[in-house]
Amino acid sequence: MKKLKKNYLVITAFVSVLGITACDKLKDTHYDKIITNNFKPSKSDLPALIGAGYTQWRLILLDWNGLWRAQELSGDQIVIPKRPNGWFDDGVYQRIQKHTWTTDDDVVRQTWLRTYKGIANCNRIISDIETGRIEIAEGKEATLAELKVVRASYYAILCDFYGNVPIVTKFDVPLGFLPEQNSRLEVFNFIVKEITDNIPLLSSANDITTYGKFNKWAAYTLLAKMYLNAQVYTGTPRWAECIAACDAVINSGAGYKLESSQKNVFVTENQNSKEIIFALPLDEDYTNNWNAFDFHMQTLQPENQATYNLKMSPWGGMCAIPQFISSFDESDARYQNNWIKGQQYTSTGQMLYVGQGDFKDKPLNFINELPGIDKGESVHGLRLGKFEIKMGSTNVLSNDYPVFRYADILMMKAECLLRTGQPDAAAVIVTEVRQRNFTDPSKAVVTGAQLQQGSSYAYGLKDAVNNQFSTEGGADIQYGRFLDELAWEFNQEGHRRTDMIRFGAFTKKSWLSHAATNNPSRTIFPIPRTEIEKNNNLVQNPGY
Amino acid sequence: MTNLLTKTNQGMKKYTECTPYARRAIRVSFQIIFLLVLSTQLLVAGSLKKQSASETKISQSIVDITVKGKVTDNKGAGLPGVSVKQKGANKSTITDVQGNYVLTVSGENPVLVFSFIGFQSQEIAVENKTVINVVLVENASNLQEVVVIGYGTQKRADVTSAVASVKAKEFVKGPVLDAGQLLQGKVAGLTIGSPSGNPTDGTQILLRGNTTLFGANSSPLVLIDGVPGDLKTVAPEDIEAIDVLKDGSAAAIYGVRGSNGVIIITTKRANGNISNSVDYSGYASTQVISKKLDMLTAQDYRDQIAAGIRNASWDNGSSTDWLKETTRTPLTQVHNLTMRGGNNTTNYLVSANYRALEGIFRKSDNKTFTGKIDVNHNMFDNKLKFNFGLLNQTNNYTKVTGGGSFNGWIYRQSVIRNPTEPIYNSSGGFYEQTGNFDYENPLAYLEEGDGESKNVNSRLNATISYKPVRDLKLSALFSYSRFNGNDGYSETKEHISNIKNGLNGYASVGSRLSIDRLTEWTAEYSKTIKNHRVVALAGYGYQENVTTGMDASNQNFPTDIFGYNNLGLGEGIKNARATLGSYKSETNLISYFGRLNYSYKDKYLLLASLRREGASQLYGANHPYGNFWGLSGGWRITKENFMKNQELFDDIKLRLGYGITGSQPREQFLATQLLKYGEYVYSNGMWTKTIEPDQNQNPFIRWEEKHETNLGLDFSLLKGRISGNADLYNRQINRLLYRFQVPSTPPNVVDFTWANVGKMENKGLELMLNFVPVKSKKLVWNTSFNFSTNKNKLVSLSNQLYKTTSNHFETGWTGPPITTFTHSTTIGGKIGNFYGYKVIDIDNNGKWIYEGRDGQPVSYDNFAHSFEDKKVIGNGLPKWYGGWNNSFSYKNFDLNITMRGAFGYQILNFQRMYMENPAIQNFNTLKSAYTPVFGKAVLNVPALEYNSYYVEDGDFWKVDNITFGYNFNKFKSSYIKGARIYLSSLNTLTITKYKGLDPEVSRLGLDPGIDGRDKYPSTRSFTMGVNLNF
Repeated sequence: MKKLKKNYLVITAFVSVLGITACDKLKDTHYDKIITNNFKPSKSDLPALIGAGYTQWRLILLDWNGLWRAQELSGDQIVIPKRPNGWFDDGVYQRIQKHTWTTDDDVVRQTWLRTYKGIANCNRIISDIETGRIEIAEGKEATLAELKVVRASYYAILCDFYGNVPIVTKFDVPLGFLPEQNSRLEVFNFIVKEITDNIPLLSSANDITTYGKFNKWAAYTLLAKMYLNAQVYTGTPRWAECIAACDAVINSGAGYKLESSQKNVFVTENQNSKEIIFALPLDEDYTNNWNAFDFHMQTLQPENQATYNLKMSPWGGMCAIPQFISSFDESDARYQNNWIKGQQYTSTGQMLYVGQGDFKDKPLNFINELPGIDKGESVHGLRLGKFEIKMGSTNVLSNDYPVFRYADILMMKAECLLRTGQPDAAAVIVTEVRQRNFTDPSKAVVTGAQLQQGSSYAYGLKDAVNNQFSTEGGADIQYGRFLDELAWEFNQEGHRRTDMIRFGAFTKKSWLSHAATNNPSRTIFPIPRTEIEKNNNLVQNPGY
Repeated sequence: MTNLLTKTNQGMKKYTECTPYARRAIRVSFQIIFLLVLSTQLLVAGSLKKQSASETKISQSIVDITVKGKVTDNKGAGLPGVSVKQKGANKSTITDVQGNYVLTVSGENPVLVFSFIGFQSQEIAVENKTVINVVLVENASNLQEVVVIGYGTQKRADVTSAVASVKAKEFVKGPVLDAGQLLQGKVAGLTIGSPSGNPTDGTQILLRGNTTLFGANSSPLVLIDGVPGDLKTVAPEDIEAIDVLKDGSAAAIYGVRGSNGVIIITTKRANGNISNSVDYSGYASTQVISKKLDMLTAQDYRDQIAAGIRNASWDNGSSTDWLKETTRTPLTQVHNLTMRGGNNTTNYLVSANYRALEGIFRKSDNKTFTGKIDVNHNMFDNKLKFNFGLLNQTNNYTKVTGGGSFNGWIYRQSVIRNPTEPIYNSSGGFYEQTGNFDYENPLAYLEEGDGESKNVNSRLNATISYKPVRDLKLSALFSYSRFNGNDGYSETKEHISNIKNGLNGYASVGSRLSIDRLTEWTAEYSKTIKNHRVVALAGYGYQENVTTGMDASNQNFPTDIFGYNNLGLGEGIKNARATLGSYKSETNLISYFGRLNYSYKDKYLLLASLRREGASQLYGANHPYGNFWGLSGGWRITKENFMKNQELFDDIKLRLGYGITGSQPREQFLATQLLKYGEYVYSNGMWTKTIEPDQNQNPFIRWEEKHETNLGLDFSLLKGRISGNADLYNRQINRLLYRFQVPSTPPNVVDFTWANVGKMENKGLELMLNFVPVKSKKLVWNTSFNFSTNKNKLVSLSNQLYKTTSNHFETGWTGPPITTFTHSTTIGGKIGNFYGYKVIDIDNNGKWIYEGRDGQPVSYDNFAHSFEDKKVIGNGLPKWYGGWNNSFSYKNFDLNITMRGAFGYQILNFQRMYMENPAIQNFNTLKSAYTPVFGKAVLNVPALEYNSYYVEDGDFWKVDNITFGYNFNKFKSSYIKGARIYLSSLNTLTITKYKGLDPEVSRLGLDPGIDGRDKYPSTRSFTMGVNLNF
């Protein structure tokens, strides 16, 4: 029995020592993460929390295969042809130009993904403010109004791009919630109501406190854009409402005006431009994700690294469609300033030579010729130069991107006047916008009669690679001349697809390697296949 | 007792910060264990009486006889280390190095038992003999072999589940990448791939097919002497045996980590049965690329220019064989020294292992030094045993990229580089073409980038076991493992990334520290009463890991001379191009487990186990704990009366088992919504980092659970000349974790949520057959076949939150310039289907003709190239695997040949997809790019694309390992006791129709069968080695 006792002791000791080491508490220390429910924001966190409502804007527009690409590469001004160093990829650039995009193409998907992320961010912040999880001592109503307008701006993108999308305004929905789809008309009405309801609460200041934000005037510009395209979106024109919204900005007294030179809007340090109404602030040190803002990388030839002493060697793909460039008056300052052309030099003035392809060792001289989208040598096509390329730039430009600018307001108003039987009043405004671009004042003048003419763009297939040629011209485009004015003023600004659709040219005309589809369903993009597969409430847009 | 508990709880608070709730739970839990142990005491008390009775009997005997003799094998060689025991008494000894023994026996009618691992035991009555020489017969049927089953061992004969055991002498010989490769082709159902020739890479292990969608841990649990670890941390030469727990009933004792199988590595340990000895083994190897791609040469370029099919601007005037410039003839050497000594009370093993591996590419290497000490000490009549282990491993390898060791990019560049380009330009720098995408001088990469990774693995482990009474064993295992890695990498100003990206010198450093603490406490009670044998085990386990690390990079250095050793000197901090990062995470795993083994007359066998486990990854979830149990039974038919009189079969055993194992998520905090600091916003004149959502929450997140049924048959006949086993299994893996695509619409903040979705099924058959066709005095031939099939099916994909409306999802990625997925998994269908355009022909202009949606041919220009046009064009998972291993020994010569193959699957050949199109001018292409497709026309489409033309059959048969050896066993010198020399080759010969380099490609995950462009080519190696025993 003594032995037994000893054993009990041993076992007791064993179990006790086990007790010391044993633990059944699961680790929950989150050293480098924030668990939302444990996070109590302080006042100093407010800009960081509310700012999250805005950050998607630049990603939606400018990041790889973003909205900008969809708007420009599907239009008649800019193309990414196959180059000696690649740029064919899997044919995606060809499909954008030819309007044969698939429901899987990245350029079709990205705008949906990025825009809804922005909406979810806004919904979350709005919900947190409304429920008091984010406490705002003063200006709570104004902050909520601003976030609702930011959200409306995201819906405006969706309305233009996909048309029929679900409207979600709540964040506090059951896990697994699948939203219902709304019609383009419902989306349009929602946006207009959100903006008009909240405009009175927005700041009317136009200074550093509202730069890069939606103040009252940016909201009016967004509203004007909705009305301008109301006929496309809803079937019912709203020209008068558009004029009223433009007039609100024109008469705001907030200091918006045309720059003396269009160039000033697009320089590296453009944050003080009086022409900018809503900008996406960019800075190579802060907005420095890869592809944050890299038009210069996508358009310049690798040899041009020496021209601008760039930190990185550019990739050389994107260029102007020759037919568009040919529509310019060569004395137009915008032809001179917006495009990079001719012989290229190093920053110290040495001539540059082609490094690769059929033109190897020939002078690097950008010419306004392009055999077709399937073949572009290093010298083919003028390059995009509207945004100043600072000497010594990295892969990210620091120019702020003007989403809305005063010239936009003026041209929207002019278009509405033109379309409502006031061509001469329209011509006065268009002339005002043109004036800064011509040294010969007579060249700047446009008449009401001219604005009612067709387009001077020499539409037609011009594909030497596949031997496909046609002559269409633009005479049959109603107010085609006004469409040309928009082309000359707003090229490279991500407007083109929307403008071409409004003027009926998008599906009916051919250019370069793009043959007219005459397929009205191409005026909206398909809902990404992957999204339909995840939410069976979504119905694909007609024609896809 | 109360005092003690309070005290322990205080201690706990200090060290583990347990809450009162946790304390209660602990109290309850060890009360359970206490009760269990207590109840066993009642039985113990009974046995004590009996034991003391037998002791009395022994002490009464007075007759002592000293017996001596020699134990030899059937070739007459002395067998050292054979255990010689008197039956029923505790007199024992072991044979010396010549096989001699001396033992004094006493008592009436003493009987000697000679036993030795791998040989059949023999019992010989002493009678009046004083010299007893014994010839032990090798045990081909392995029934007495000890099999490790986790927290203990079992005799092979008693095992009731699918457990494979491979001993050191059967291992693959040669410059193996890690311990996994030792098993290549040896175990049915265990596929071990070595798709890369990179000396820092390891093997890919797949047991019974895919068991995860990669949300949870995908690799098998590797236990090195009971401590979870990595295959790389054990020197292959240190390994005594590897046991693989294949089915769920066996692995269930390991609960949550057992889903992908359990690989138990037993290293050579100190052992009182082995007298003082020193062993040396060493080998040297070299390698060649097993196959090269047939690319255009400089002469081919010039011929094409002359023929007018290539623009003259592509001739740059030189002739360079780029692959030759980047590769070398490597020399690998491995040395291992093991010393053992001591006696029955205290003994030790010390080993030193040095592995210096060189890869075929320049600056591709891996050097590892492993030192190990293992000490046993026994006290109080062997009742108290201590085992201490100390392992220290230092590992260094050269880096030519920031992110890893060798850069696969260098291989790709060596292949696609224009062969007419010179290496250097006229001014002596590297010749570069910065305008070309993804095109960089591979030699510039090799010579202008330099770095080193230095890693230290150390492990301290101790096991204390105590037998308070004969049938009860209490054990506590403690282990502390520490991994510390330090990396440095730099690029000179001449490096292409600096020329292209304007970095002007780049350097980075990083360090990682990962500490694992483990303790496992077990109580094992074993008892035999008449025909009943019971072994009961109860235990508690706790494991925690803390990982911390930091990384920093800087650029724009005034000089290259410092490399990565003076990071602060760069200008990157000023212009915000420097990067800094640090991280820390902590996880733990808590488990309670028990197991019961029961056997009746060695005829009916039963094993039951239960493990309850919690994982910190599931913090915040509704069910952080899971229960995992296993049940298996065996019937040894040969033990039945009706089989008694037959002599054909040595053993027939039927086994049936069912077990549940799990897998926890890899990531932490998946149940909760997380925030992160994200993009900058410009607000009121200042740049501010925004706080953004990081992850969708899912409180329903749970363990993955695998339910496995296994039906097996083991047999041995004709005294082991024929033996084998067969296993049929059905694995149902429920609640698979997946990065589930959810709508991008609110409330989701990102378009995926980690969720338990879906159910996967694996069904298969495994066969293993061993024969000894020839067994004569001089010649012995052992041969074994293994065969396995596996059907992998995704049964469903949905969860509480979402259901997919489509019946498929896409995985895999081609990479630019083709940017599409490669595989589609259809719910209810097989895993591993390639999904792309189906090419059926080519037209006269060299354009593809596809099979359209309706099955009719569609021309290239009319083909929409959309998702709806894609079809299943192959499957990357082999339908069956086979292996055939042979070993011959003739006199002192031996020859081993390992062969294996995989059949019924396809490979997507990336090399051909990217390099077999004449439209590519800016990169070199395969010669076959200019060969007419389907013998009709040369391809003439500008776009590269992923289609069925590049999906090929992958079936292969490999003669993998051939080893030819010679044993010297008679030495004049008394110092040297044994020696062996051998020659061996690995990856010797491959028979296949596959056009790529090696049909043995990755089979893991949902995108198996991709033969990537940047893959380090596999190699064929030749080795010469020697083993010496002193």
